[in-house]
Amino acid sequence: MSSIDSFIALVRDDLGLPIDDTDVDRPLDEVVGWDSVHLITLLTLLERGTGRSLSLPAALEATTLRGLHDVAVSG
Amino acid sequence: MTSVPVPVAGPGAAAEPADELLALHRAGRLAAAYPGLPSLLARLPEAESVRAAQLLSRVDPDQVLREHPGLPSLTVAVTGHGTLSALVPALALEGARHGVVLRTVVSDFDSYVFDLTDPGSALHAAAPDLVLCLLDPMIVTDELPTPWRPEDVEAVLAEKTALLDALTARFAGSGRGTLVLNTMPLPRGLASQLIDHRSRARLGAVWREANARLLRLAETHPELVVLDLDPHAAEGVAVTDPRLSVYAKAHLSPGILARYAREVGHLARVVAGRTKKCLAVDLDQTVWGGVLGDDGADGIEVADSPRGEAFRAFQKVLKQLASQGVLLAAVSKNDLAPVREVVADHPGMTLREADFVRFAVNWRPKHENLRELAEDLNLAVESLVFVDDSPYECGLVRHELPGVSVVPLDEEPARHVEKLLRDGWFDVRELTVEDRERPALYRVEAERKDFLHSFDSLQDYLRELGVRVRIGPVEDREVPRVSQLTLRTNQFNLTTRRRQAAEVKDLAAGRDTRVLAVHAGDRFGENGLVGAVVTRREGATVHIDDFLLSCRVFARGIEQTALAVVLRQARADGAREVLATYRPSAKNAKVRDFYPRNGFVPVADADSALVFRHDLASVLPVPDHVRLTDSCEGNTP
Repeated sequence: MSSIDSFIALVRDDLGLPIDDTDVDRPLDEVVGWDSVHLITLLTLLERGTGRSLSLPAALEATTLRGLHDVAVSG
Repeated sequence: MTSVPVPVAGPGAAAEPADELLALHRAGRLAAAYPGLPSLLARLPEAESVRAAQLLSRVDPDQVLREHPGLPSLTVAVTGHGTLSALVPALALEGARHGVVLRTVVSDFDSYVFDLTDPGSALHAAAPDLVLCLLDPMIVTDELPTPWRPEDVEAVLAEKTALLDALTARFAGSGRGTLVLNTMPLPRGLASQLIDHRSRARLGAVWREANARLLRLAETHPELVVLDLDPHAAEGVAVTDPRLSVYAKAHLSPGILARYAREVGHLARVVAGRTKKCLAVDLDQTVWGGVLGDDGADGIEVADSPRGEAFRAFQKVLKQLASQGVLLAAVSKNDLAPVREVVADHPGMTLREADFVRFAVNWRPKHENLRELAEDLNLAVESLVFVDDSPYECGLVRHELPGVSVVPLDEEPARHVEKLLRDGWFDVRELTVEDRERPALYRVEAERKDFLHSFDSLQDYLRELGVRVRIGPVEDREVPRVSQLTLRTNQFNLTTRRRQAAEVKDLAAGRDTRVLAVHAGDRFGENGLVGAVVTRREGATVHIDDFLLSCRVFARGIEQTALAVVLRQARADGAREVLATYRPSAKNAKVRDFYPRNGFVPVADADSALVFRHDLASVLPVPDHVRLTDSCEGNTP
């Protein structure tokens, strides 16, 4: 999950959320349709895709989609 | 990934189901395509289900119902102990798989006690058809002291099961709909904290005793269903995910939630009146190994060889299902005579002629045979489940008859059983006497039809048929069967109100309401309890709220007889008029004129219902050919 674009594609096509580039730096609670449960599904899908375990506590602290992307990239 | 706008289709569509689904999502067409989703999702690989569930959870139930007002829909309330929202996508997927629109309402974190006890709670306000109270092991472990001993667990379990018993009783008093609880599999992480085998065994015993108490609650609470999660855990589905439990307070793993949702999907189909009734099985390579036409009766594998044992096991399961009222039919490309010989005489066969209600064995396309089979059994094709090892036949049936549920098998017969039973196609709330006798009744029906063909006119036939009808207030032991009729009957059902057993019981006991059970029989034997009428008295008016008759027996004068009894009784009780309603559904068009044909006049005509009135001046007689052996006339409650 290197580029932010493929991360956006994942959120759009696998979570079904209608986000675009302008949403990545928006606070999560302002992203239309976002729910904390999406975080868990997103991490599950990311882990399945990368085969790596990601830090759930770090992901829970992320406040934007970009923050989540950074957790996914750094593990 | 495909970007082709794909119609939901059968074998002609080469696209992978996951791609088709994504294309529909991107095009914003999932709601429009909803009726075709069961056939698409049936082809979806299990590994794609998480993504599919997410996309389907974005679909607005109201939009689906606006586009397809005829689809069955249910409101499902979710409450419980931990974070529950992960269940929502899983439910959306299962609803779509079964073609039932689920409107899901999730309660706040850990609010189940309040939700179930307070009649003013948001849960009750949603008037749910299904209330899922999700129990997880943390309900118990959260309350243990540190350190703990098995006695502590026993005490908490005793308190929780007593609480759930009380909550269920309270729910029955203030809510409507079906409450769903579940067993809590014992977490290994708890058991293995005890280092001595004696204590560990004790923990295992008290834990299982508590689960058994939960399961037994269903015996005393008719509105309760308890889903047993242990068999899923035993299949190797992890019950908990430690990270999700600790960090997100989601105490049940996504895997077990998906299984739970699958069970709820089956239950939703029952509650929505969409139960499957007939299992149509291919024969060659499905019921026996080999090809009868090529290998001969001696060459097919049905027992006493490794593959033969696999087919025998499958035959036993088919026989087991048939014994519980599932109508088993053979749909096979074969000559009929050799097939009849095998089921009659082959020493290794487990299934015999009496296990089948029909043999659609010929060389015509299978979808044509299935369509005729449904007509012949007086069922909608949506009531059929079709099982075949041939991808060609499965694809063809999916394409030609999308309403039929298709279970594809393959060349590994040892997996036939698990594939057939993966979905609870034939699940019901409770088995009735009529269920066990149903296959025999349908076989007799075939004889009745042969008998019919020997008469010049229908009237002659009916006279010779010797129809007997008995109508009276529903008895306690008949309540489950009447409830089941309201759930299963789609065609001769004037209002299509689905009623759970508890509701039927309340109506039967009501001061102004009455539930009549209609029994019928003829020269070929008893048909059993085949119909029900629910009436309600309001001043000088009697309302017929429900009027329904099993599709096996209509057009024999039984319905006119039942109506005549209701009208006579209304007159005897001093009523001045009877008002009856017809509510159109996707399946009941043929009874639209039932009331006007029998002396009623239309008084109101709205989109959702037609209302008819009978002034009781002249009540229609019981048809000549029907013998009314007993009735409730004069038996005012």
